[in-house]
Amino acid sequence: MTDTTVSQRRFLGIPGNTWTLILLGFGAVLTTIDFVLAFFYTPLVVGAQVAETRIINGIAVSNQLLFSQKIFYFHVPVAIGSFLVFFFTAYYGVRFLMTKEKKFDTRARIATEVTLLFVILTLITGDIWTRFEWGVWWVWEPRLTTYFIMTLLVVAYFVLRSSIEDEERRATYAAVFGIIAFLDAPISFAITRLIPSSVHPVVLRSGGGLTGTQLLAFLLGLFGMLMVAWVVYQVRLREELARERIEGLKAALEG
Amino acid sequence: MAETVAETAKSAHISSMRQFKAIMKKDIVMELRTKEMLTSMGLYAVLVLVVYQIALSQAGSSFDVLRIAAGLLWLAIIFTSLLGLNRSLVHEKDQGCLDALLLAPVDRPVIFFAKAIGNLLFLSIVVVIILPLFYFFFLAGKPLGGPLWMLPLPLIVGCIGIAGVGTLLATMSVNTNGKDLILPVLFIPVMFPLLYASVAATTAVLIGDPGYATVYWNSIALGAGYDAIMLLAAYGLYEFIIGA
Repeated sequence: MTDTTVSQRRFLGIPGNTWTLILLGFGAVLTTIDFVLAFFYTPLVVGAQVAETRIINGIAVSNQLLFSQKIFYFHVPVAIGSFLVFFFTAYYGVRFLMTKEKKFDTRARIATEVTLLFVILTLITGDIWTRFEWGVWWVWEPRLTTYFIMTLLVVAYFVLRSSIEDEERRATYAAVFGIIAFLDAPISFAITRLIPSSVHPVVLRSGGGLTGTQLLAFLLGLFGMLMVAWVVYQVRLREELARERIEGLKAALEG
Repeated sequence: MAETVAETAKSAHISSMRQFKAIMKKDIVMELRTKEMLTSMGLYAVLVLVVYQIALSQAGSSFDVLRIAAGLLWLAIIFTSLLGLNRSLVHEKDQGCLDALLLAPVDRPVIFFAKAIGNLLFLSIVVVIILPLFYFFFLAGKPLGGPLWMLPLPLIVGCIGIAGVGTLLATMSVNTNGKDLILPVLFIPVMFPLLYASVAATTAVLIGDPGYATVYWNSIALGAGYDAIMLLAAYGLYEFIIGA
């Protein structure tokens, strides 16, 4: 078989190679810089006051310095990324319901796969933070709760898909559930945050303002992660489109 | 074909109230004849209360059940409602009633509202049965923290959401291979915010801690907001589900 030309590729909806590679490079570089900055340059966040003044790194401090806060530069970009990708599940769900075109269903499914990856990363990094900040492995704190529920919603999306054989029905149901799930996630965050549980204190620091380096590291991490998310999405999409083509060809040969 | 159905329905627009009543009447008559849903839901709820007794039997006398009473109550409601939602749509599916409904010139939203309100009706009847039983078994003699009139409101807000979103999700789950296994997987995470708000509001009334009214009204407002958003979404999306 000959190579597909660019116009053929466009027709088939297969995105080109170059941009994906460039973005992958950018994403990798930015997230690496983010890590380096986070661990070596950003100042430690000052936590609660401790009993006596101590000398850490040659500086007299009377407050606890939160090394565990470093996870912020990884955790928050991943969390924002997961939510942005989840938006595309709902977006392509709406597009599918409007057009009934299979390509939108494929895109919604892959967006949900990437969401699952990012949500699980958020949950793990959030949990590590909880462990070192509060000394327990799990707290039903609004953000962790929300991401736990989001994980369940995304898992439910795939359970639903796998239990329907008819292709069009599967796509329609998945689109509807994707939209419902996307609406549900922010509401569950709002409700767990606005109705604090009486057992555990809600520890949500109001953004005390990031210093220059902190903001820089955070933004680099954010853009880097978004690029990585985009690349994972594109690579999976291409794989899926190729698979669909092969199946189409197989069916044509057999038929 | 979809257009012709829609056009016929449009020309007979005045009768959408009659269509709604007819579907409701069908559900009620079927229930009165078989008494299947109410007996199974009611029995299930009583069994859940028995399981609570086992769960609490070793808690000791210093444990105040009032502090978790609202949570237990909502647990019973949510599991019972799962049973009822499944039943209500399995009937439609198994006896080919849903296909007949789709063939009839009925607006899709009318089907949604009729099914949802039917489910709400049965759920309310079961809640009205559970509530005094629950009080009798677990809270007898304990003073209520807040005024009694505050108690029904979170139940109403919660049940409306359960019936509305539940009808949509149950219509999906009866058309899958998993059937009744799929419904909880979809239903519980989607219901999470509403349950959280309802439990918070009910706990506030039952315990009546200082400042309970603020928590109560906040929770009611948030629960009602969830209902509004989710019911609108369910109303808009039901057409796709039922047509697929």
